Amino acid sequence: MDPALVKLALGGVATLGCIGLFFGIGLAIAAQKFHVEPDPKVEAVLHTLAGAQ
Amino acid sequence: MKSIRSYHLLVGVLVVAALFLTGCETGHKFVKKTEFKDTDKMVLTFAGPVDEAWAKNIANFSAYEKPDPDIVLTIKEAVLSSDKTKLTLIFAAPLNTGEAHILSTSNIMSEGQDLGAAVLTIKKLYFGVLMTIFLGAALIKNFVFTKYLGLCVFFGCSQKRSTAIGMGVVFTIVIAFAATMAWALYQFVLKPYQLTFLNIVVFIGLVSLSVQGVDTILRKVNPALFKAFGVYLVLVIANCIAIAVPLILADNEYTGWESFSLALGAGIGFLIALFLMACVREKLELAKVPPSFKGLPIAFVTAGLFALAFLGFSGLSIY
Repeated sequence: MDPALVKLALGGVATLGCIGLFFGIGLAIAAQKFHVEPDPKVEAVLHTLAGAQ
Repeated sequence: MKSIRSYHLLVGVLVVAALFLTGCETGHKFVKKTEFKDTDKMVLTFAGPVDEAWAKNIANFSAYEKPDPDIVLTIKEAVLSSDKTKLTLIFAAPLNTGEAHILSTSNIMSEGQDLGAAVLTIKKLYFGVLMTIFLGAALIKNFVFTKYLGLCVFFGCSQKRSTAIGMGVVFTIVIAFAATMAWALYQFVLKPYQLTFLNIVVFIGLVSLSVQGVDTILRKVNPALFKAFGVYLVLVIANCIAIAVPLILADNEYTGWESFSLALGAGIGFLIALFLMACVREKLELAKVPPSFKGLPIAFVTAGLFALAFLGFSGLSIY
């Protein structure tokens, strides 16, 4: 194998991994910061409904 | 509240002003302005009078389109205005004014003084370029009616007008956000690391990511809006326009503003298409349609007729 290609592939994996990690952490922080308590009544009503649609 | 609004207005004015200013750089301090005129002329405005003998000699100038430096354009005639500050170069063939042109001159002579050679860039006002991209994406090359993209969401969400508007607005917001991020990622990460072959994978992730982000933030910041639009937000991922826009802007090497206006055009075009279709389908509910055509078949026929009507925009050019 051409070492340049190996370098490109490993670099790609590392870069995409970093991007994924970065955005994943970003989304996790956003989800925590903008957390909304789900209303238990909504859950209860949805549970009693048939839920066909 | 009022102060916030005037602040927004100020920012808007500054952004537009910055866009206008970008069209005015010339590259030589004695040349005040360069612009296209008609389809075959370039106009140079100088800060002072230039020598007639220098200006009238067309061998002093050579021009080419920026992407093709080896194809030199032929200049037919050079006309100097009576106050000797405005030079009009007339070309033998019409110019492709959508591209930036490079005009190099020999040493500029003004009242016997040698002011040095100039390499000038001539391009349309940047705002005009952006408007062309916007109108192109929204009307002339409407994604739904001329490229047949996003049809599943188009037929799924066009039964009622309120649904159509909701879907269109949410889609416009998400696509503008996703396309700007896609541009940044493509220009600053994928291209420098030679990973452009991965762009489809990255863009798909980016679209779902921005949908998730908008979903999370909207839920907290504006619950009323979330209740109204929340259902359509998830559907945006299923829309193929959302992946087409990043791919197009990567293919054409668009700049940040150009990508944004392409995304905005795509969103508004989709909104227009959905709204028009919803208006017709509401009326179709009451019309006498042959039983075999009821529902989707007649909707497809209508979409075809709309596509034909949108062909009428094909010659449109404002800027």
